[in-house]
This record gives sequence, structure tokens and C-alpha cells, in this order.
Amino acid sequence: MALINIASHEIHCKIVYYGIGYCGKTTNLQYVHKSITPNARGDMLSIATETERTLFFDFLPLDLGRVHGFHTRFHLYTVPGQILYERTRLAVLNGADGIVFVVDSQADKFEENMQSIAELDMHMRHIGKNMSRFPLIMQWNKRDMPNILPVPVLEHYLNRRRVPSFEAVASAGKGVFATLRAISKTVIAQL
Amino acid sequence: MEQLTNLVISDRDLATISSILMRLMNDTTATSIMLIDKSGQVVAIQGNSTRRNATTLGALLAGVFSSSREVAKLLDEKDFRNIFQQGVQQNIYTSMVEEQWLLVSIFDRSTHIGLVKVLSKKASDELGRILERVRNDTTRAKSSVLNLQFRSSVEDTIDLLFRD
Repeated sequence: MALINIASHEIHCKIVYYGIGYCGKTTNLQYVHKSITPNARGDMLSIATETERTLFFDFLPLDLGRVHGFHTRFHLYTVPGQILYERTRLAVLNGADGIVFVVDSQADKFEENMQSIAELDMHMRHIGKNMSRFPLIMQWNKRDMPNILPVPVLEHYLNRRRVPSFEAVASAGKGVFATLRAISKTVIAQL
Repeated sequence: MEQLTNLVISDRDLATISSILMRLMNDTTATSIMLIDKSGQVVAIQGNSTRRNATTLGALLAGVFSSSREVAKLLDEKDFRNIFQQGVQQNIYTSMVEEQWLLVSIFDRSTHIGLVKVLSKKASDELGRILERVRNDTTRAKSSVLNLQFRSSVEDTIDLLFRD
């Protein structure tokens, strides 16, 4: 839920990166943190296990600076991808203004991706959001892997709403900013 | 019920909120008081010690609260409406305001938790009334800020900043 503070001239929006374990959600945020101009980013926070799997969430605040007198800020979050952290994902989704669904394009991850998007649908219904109108962007990640599914197949089964989608290799930065631009603009358009 | 898409805080509302937080801080001698949205956004803050880390604190404290609500569900408990975190030097008391905001008091050993609990409850009730007003005013106030010109400028800035 975006917060528009007229008194302090600030607008805050929350964007959540959702998807299965090891699909590249944290990698997206790390690339943004590494590549964006330093005065537009805050410190990146990761609550991870000893093996660097996300335990709770990653958090990266971005500041567009002053636009028409208003400081516009995007707060990027990731959810933990591992199946057993379902309740934690629901906790992080709370108050989200937009979602990037990151898909691991490898064929052997297809079933997990299907389960994950069904879970997201269920959670959004649970928190009272209408998924047919909610800002959502799909990212087909890991396009550099050898055993990937063709994009039309992913589109057909995972992108039933036909929302904008982007191919990505997040580890190399490919598609990361295109995805971020798309979700940010969609969120602003729906404020 | 569908969640609100956004919440607009006007000058008048923020001034009232700030004065409630200030009074709570003075009356409890807390070091800092924050009002955060349950999504993690900071609505208002009093006290200098936490101001620098406010954004991160907001995200983490809201995360802790959301997580504890999920714990409650697993225990078939209706809700945990308050959380007390006790440290060696600093303590944090968080309570929910009308399912939408979290009132956070950060205080040291010189402040008694009982006082914080009672006065937080009183402040929460007052904040609840303001939240009601904010909800009612949101649509009208929003259109004054989010005009076409603003949206188009934000889009231009996104193109400028969000790139390799």
C-alpha cells in the first residue's frame, strides 16, 4: 500500500520480488544495488541463513529524488523462495504495491514455478487483493542455461494474465533494469 | 475486504500525528517513537537516535510484526497485538493501530515498560481516530498530488535512473 505523505512530500511504494528458491530474486536486487547511481540507493539489507539462502527478506530502498516537489521512493523486497517458508512469504507480501514474479526458465523447475504462481494467487486473494488488476511483471530468468523452456511455453502456462514480461540473465544484469522500470511505472500508473 | 491501494497523509494529519508521538515520547521519556505502516513505510518519527536508520528499521519492525501474526495463526491465537523486545540497554514496544499502522516506542532502562504500555494504548486510540480521517480523505487528497504531469515526470526519472 503506497504511502503518500503530503506534509513531508514523500511517496513510498513497495515492490516484492517473488519466485521459487534459487530463481534469482536476491541476484536482481544485488545487481540493482551494484549498478544504480549511489545517491539513488540506500543500504541493502539481507536476512539470510549461514548458507546465504534468504531467510526472511532482502530489502533495498531506492530514491528517485525530488520529482515535482515529492521525494519518490521504491522499497524493493524479496521473499524467501524455499517451499517451507510459505508463511514468511505471506508476511513480506503484506502491503505490496507491485510484484515481480521471477521464473527460473529451466525445464526441470517448471513444476515448482507453476506451484509458486498458484501460491502467489492464493496469498493475494487471502490479503484481499484482486490479482486481475494488481501490478505484476514476469521475468523469465536464467536464459543463459542450456535446458531452458522456450519463452512462448512459459508465457502460455505461467503468464495467464498476459502481463508484460522480460527475458533476463540476472547474474549478468541482463533484463534486470528493464524489469524494474516496467514494475515501477506500472505501480505509479496505478497509484 | 480489499486493502487500500494507498494512504495520503495531509499536513494537518501529520501535525496531529507528530504531536501525539511527541507527547508519548515526553511522557514516557522514550528515546524515540515511530509510527510505521504495516507494509514497512515510516509515517512519522520523533527522536533523533533512530532517524538515520528509520527506513531500514521500518522494514524490519513491520517484518517482525507480520511474522508474529503468522506465528499467532499457527498457534490458533487470534492475534499478537503487541510485541516487546528487551535488550540490555534498549527496549522496543510495538503495538498495532487499527490493523493498519504500528506504533513503536524505543526506550532505555530508565523507562518502565508498564508506563509505555498504558500510554501507547492511549496514543493508539487517538491515532486510530486520525487514521479513520486519513482513510476518508485519501481519494480527494490523492488527486491533488498524482496528476498527469507528476506521473509523466516520475516515468522520465525512472527511465533516467533505472538503467545500467
